[in-house]
Amino acid sequence: MFHWLEKNPFFFAVAVFVVIAFAGLIEILPNFAQASRPVIGTKPYTTLELAGRHVYIKNSCNACHSQLVRPFKSETDRYGHYSLSGEYAYDRPFLWGSKRTGPDLMRVGNYRTTDWHENHMKDPAAVVPGSIMPAYGWMFKNKADVDTAYAEQVTVNKVFKTPYNAELPMADGSKVKVALADSVEAARASALEEAKVIAADMKDQDVKDAVAKGEIPEIVALIAYLNSLK
Amino acid sequence: MENRPLEYDYTVAKMFMLTTVVLGIVGMLVGVILAWELAFPAVNTIAGSGLAEYTNFSRLRPLHTDAVIFGFTVSGIFATWYYVGQRVLKVSMAESKFLMALGKLHFVLYILLVASVVGSLLLGITTSKEYAEFEWPIDIAVVVVWVIWGMQIFGLIGIRREKSLYISIWYYIATFLGVAMLYLFNNMEVPTYFVSGGIGAWYHSVSMYSGTNDALVQWWYGHNAVAFGFTVPIVAMIYYFLPKESGQAVYSYKLSLLAFWGLMFVYLWAGGHHLLFSTVPDWMQTMGSVFSVVLILPSWGSAINMLLTMKGEWQQVASSPLIKFMILASTFYMFSTLEGPIQAIKSVNALAHFTDWIVGHVHDGVLGWVAFMIMAALFHMAPRVFKREIYSKSLMNTQFWIQTLGVVLYFTSMWIAGITQGMMWRAHDEFGNLAYSFIDTVTVLHPYYTIRAVGGTLYLVGMFLFAYNMYKTMTSGRRVEESELQSASPMGA
Amino acid sequence: MNKTVLAAIVVVIAMLGFTYVAVGSAGGMGGEGDWVNKLAVLGAVVLVIVTAFVVTKYVRQMQSDTAGGQLADENWDGIGEYKNELPFGWAVIFLGSIVWAMWYFLAGYPVNAYSQIGEYNDEVKAHDTKFEAQFAKMDDATLNAMGESVFIVQCAPCHGLQADGMDGKAANLHERIAEKSVKHIVMNGANNFKTDYAGGMPPMLLQDPAQVDAVAKYVASGFKADDAAGKAAYAAGTCNTCHGENGEGMPSVAPKINGWEAGMVATVLKDGKKGAIGAMPAFTNLTAVQTKALGAYVSSLSKK
Ligand code: HEC
Ligand code: HEC
Ligand code: HEC
Ligand code: HEM
Ligand code: HEM
Ligand SMILES: [Ca+2]
Ligand SMILES: [Ca+2]
Ligand SMILES: [Cu+2]
Repeated sequence: MFHWLEKNPFFFAVAVFVVIAFAGLIEILPNFAQASRPVIGTKPYTTLELAGRHVYIKNSCNACHSQLVRPFKSETDRYGHYSLSGEYAYDRPFLWGSKRTGPDLMRVGNYRTTDWHENHMKDPAAVVPGSIMPAYGWMFKNKADVDTAYAEQVTVNKVFKTPYNAELPMADGSKVKVALADSVEAARASALEEAKVIAADMKDQDVKDAVAKGEIPEIVALIAYLNSLK
Repeated sequence: MENRPLEYDYTVAKMFMLTTVVLGIVGMLVGVILAWELAFPAVNTIAGSGLAEYTNFSRLRPLHTDAVIFGFTVSGIFATWYYVGQRVLKVSMAESKFLMALGKLHFVLYILLVASVVGSLLLGITTSKEYAEFEWPIDIAVVVVWVIWGMQIFGLIGIRREKSLYISIWYYIATFLGVAMLYLFNNMEVPTYFVSGGIGAWYHSVSMYSGTNDALVQWWYGHNAVAFGFTVPIVAMIYYFLPKESGQAVYSYKLSLLAFWGLMFVYLWAGGHHLLFSTVPDWMQTMGSVFSVVLILPSWGSAINMLLTMKGEWQQVASSPLIKFMILASTFYMFSTLEGPIQAIKSVNALAHFTDWIVGHVHDGVLGWVAFMIMAALFHMAPRVFKREIYSKSLMNTQFWIQTLGVVLYFTSMWIAGITQGMMWRAHDEFGNLAYSFIDTVTVLHPYYTIRAVGGTLYLVGMFLFAYNMYKTMTSGRRVEESELQSASPMGA
Repeated sequence: MNKTVLAAIVVVIAMLGFTYVAVGSAGGMGGEGDWVNKLAVLGAVVLVIVTAFVVTKYVRQMQSDTAGGQLADENWDGIGEYKNELPFGWAVIFLGSIVWAMWYFLAGYPVNAYSQIGEYNDEVKAHDTKFEAQFAKMDDATLNAMGESVFIVQCAPCHGLQADGMDGKAANLHERIAEKSVKHIVMNGANNFKTDYAGGMPPMLLQDPAQVDAVAKYVASGFKADDAAGKAAYAAGTCNTCHGENGEGMPSVAPKINGWEAGMVATVLKDGKKGAIGAMPAFTNLTAVQTKALGAYVSSLSKK
């Protein structure tokens, strides 16, 4: 049979394809629907958080930082509760990473704060002596791309039914609604409101001035995102 | 015509040989920069803090991986295809105007693709998925380039004179199909600009899959990107170049057969080993571990087949640096395909995952196996496509030893670094609390990061020697006759 | 050549052994080594030995054996193919690996019974059982040492290894409170510690900048008896009605502000704090023992 295949390239190719496609079908498909069900307390990203997530991706923070707490005592002691599948329901793409040159950030919002991130992103080694993380000075000047974040919100809402404007149950029994703006102008305005809250806790005068002028530096969006990681 | 030997046309092969060398140097230069950045963070601002946005570790890292994978390795695959394909199918590219024109188009589009990748990654345009960083416009270009390659493969097969397909062709076909399938599924993404009615960046997209599902598809892809990028096509190369260069017959057809179909079947299941202890279901993780271990044998099958092909030929190994490259490559192939399965065992992965031990595994594979094999292939091709003797054998020998030392320094330092880091993360003190703060586990790695950077630099030096030797071969090697090119490559002193 | 390879292998294995002794044997769940560490190092050693052994075997064949067998009819660009049988050892190990795979799937991590979360729960339980007894009888010195070790992992990233606040980026814990913090609180009031002091502290108890400065200095420098201006301002602001004459605090009314005590540290950890320096996150996932230990450690700092 193999000799025959080797003389009939078309059937050879078909045979190879069948053999390699097989595993994907069995391993990947069955789990699909189940894994995307959100757990209680999970909510979609706001415009500013999503813009911050884009800053995170743009700079490949995931090259050094994971966002996946494995169920080991040593990890839950360091980072908090182990990860649950449903917590990632609104993560497109997932950002688990595959290398921990720096610590996991899955729940960094629980134990770091705006002012700390500000100091750290500006000069990591000044906060954590011996740190090998690069300094991200330009984030204090570059402006975040709020429009694209809004476009993404609209897209996931339309295409994947990501529940914006819906009452979502939280762990303490309360309900939370993440609003989706009606227009890009409204999205910019609401992102700016979020940004003001962050900037109030920051010290960098240029950042504060920029936000006062209605601009949003990348660092503000990034911190909004980091604070949302809980 | 029938009685004269075929005049193979290597125009396109030569073009891709050029990009293999150039992109190899670029990609590894970036790797060396990364390595120094981790050892000495001040290197992040080496071009001044104004340019740090483009020279810091995190912006450059995807550039390194994509330059060595989609640049160096894929160029090597194409270059060897345009050489090996004609010869084992016994048909010349010159016989089909269409394939020739398509081949040149293939190269031009490929160059445009590379340029757009470099530009976009430097600007930070990435989707973050490892080895699938490109946004949708580039994805489309990748698909076009790949489809053209597929047309080349099946076009050439269509007009072949040799009825039955040589082993290398099996592996090239599998490479084509595997990458096509994986790439398409992992890059299912929705452009936000169009759905939102023209808001934001036009090139931005969002993944079709979310969270755990996205991870599953990504590592089904990611693992098999290794399979169909770093293994299958490289095996295609060794099955041609080692027997050809040494003039020996392949040891066992049966072993070739079983190793091939075994590899095809088993490889795809093993992706789960990238997701151990994550939130994918337990049975799927176990499946990843199990198939990884079974995978040792089909992998070793090809390596053993090649080592046995050299039975009784030690004098060739000892005297030819070209054969040394290939023998060491199969050794490292065995090495990393045993290392991977060991790391895929759950309790080992609990320690190894997220550490530099994985980076060590990656590089004993890519430096010791992939890059060695590609360079050996180019060395074998050079005298035949340029009709000149390899410029310097002693330079080749020097390169071999420098790079071997480089690989050894690289993976040993990363092993120790990774295992140290993994153990420190897990350690609890006498009170049952974590023994080390995270930064302790970073600063302890400094010496190992430095050793790795030195090893990587040595390897890069070897790359420059390689490029120089190739250049000199092309421009000033002694002219050779067809009769000198049957098996062992002619080399100058 | 053989000797160089052998030497290299010995060196690698020695390094692995050294690494294990240096870090791994101490690790695990508080002492006698963690079997994950053992297995990982063992795996690395096996990898080196097996590869070296197998490759040596084939190198020997290159050196002394000769190629042979029946050649297949086909021939590609001059490359022939022998019809040799499968290498026996390879075939046997292939089958062996499949058997192992089934064992792993059915018995090692049985599909129907194994759960990683279950395993985690067991691990945590074993850990807790092991340390509960020890925690029950801890003297102050041990408590302090434990506090320091938790501090280095959890708190040092902000407060610094020396707990000095790293140039004002977080509170300097060698003193109870910084002057600028007192000033900030007197002017703005405070309501961080919602669980223990639900009422909070009202703003603007003192209006006169000189008085604010005086009280800030007085409180921050630890209620010096000879600081008359400070003392006066403290009374003028009615601080004593809540914090007591000497800042010793009143349960449920206002915290102790003349020095650290374990209870106050626990309060900070429970609710976090946002003040003049920045924001301090709440640490809700620390255990009661860890909180107590941190209290002991932080209180000991200002006493030094
Ligand atoms: C070269 C690797 C590297 C890159 C790239 C990197 N980091 Fe880090 N990061 C580290 C290291 C190492 C640490 C631990 C030392 C420290 O805290 O500075 C760290 C720590 C952190 C922490 C503190 C987490 C904690 O638990 O203490 C945050 C938050 C963080 N990084 C965010 C980021 C963000 C956001 C980016 C991308 C814009 C980024 N990092 C890029 C290496 C990196
Ligand atoms: C109405 C009662 C009340 C009065 C009067 C009062 N305090 Fe307070 N004070 C509190 C409470 C309650 C807190 C805890 C606030 C919180 O929850 O953050 C506090 C907190 C503080 C703190 C911060 C402790 C810390 O660790 O953050 C300082 C310093 C302080 N008070 C000083 C003063 C001074 C000086 C005065 C007089 C000018 C004063 N207080 C008057 C109730 C009072
Ligand atoms: C993300 C940074 C951060 C971390 C982590 C952190 N702290 Fe703090 N901490 C701060 C900052 C900032 C302040 C100063 C708040 C202010 O007064 O403005 C502070 C203040 C304090 C204070 C004084 C509060 C007061 O009432 O004045 C104590 C006590 C304290 N921290 C203890 C700890 C302990 C114990 C830990 C570890 C379990 C810890 N901190 C971890 C940032 C941090
Ligand atoms: C039998 C064959 C192999 C198996 C079972 C295997 C297994 C593994 C495992 C378990 C990991 C680590 C996953 C993690 O914990 O993060 C890994 C990572 C990796 N391996 Fe292999 N490996 C094999 C062969 C190879 C070869 C030959 C190469 C390259 C030449 C290679 C390249 C890589 C790369 C690039 C990664 C890193 C992926 C990432 O970005 O995280 N592997 N492999
Ligand atoms: C001069 C030689 C090289 C050096 C110094 C080098 C250095 C590096 C460094 C420093 C990293 C980042 C590791 C980390 O994040 O901690 C890396 C990652 C990587 N390199 Fe290289 N590299 C070299 C050559 C190559 C080659 C030739 C290839 C492939 C053909 C390659 C493939 C990769 C891959 C796939 C990764 C990602 C690994 C992962 O995510 O686990 N490298 N390299
Ligand atoms: Ca990786
Ligand atoms: Ca893509
Ligand atoms: Cu893999």
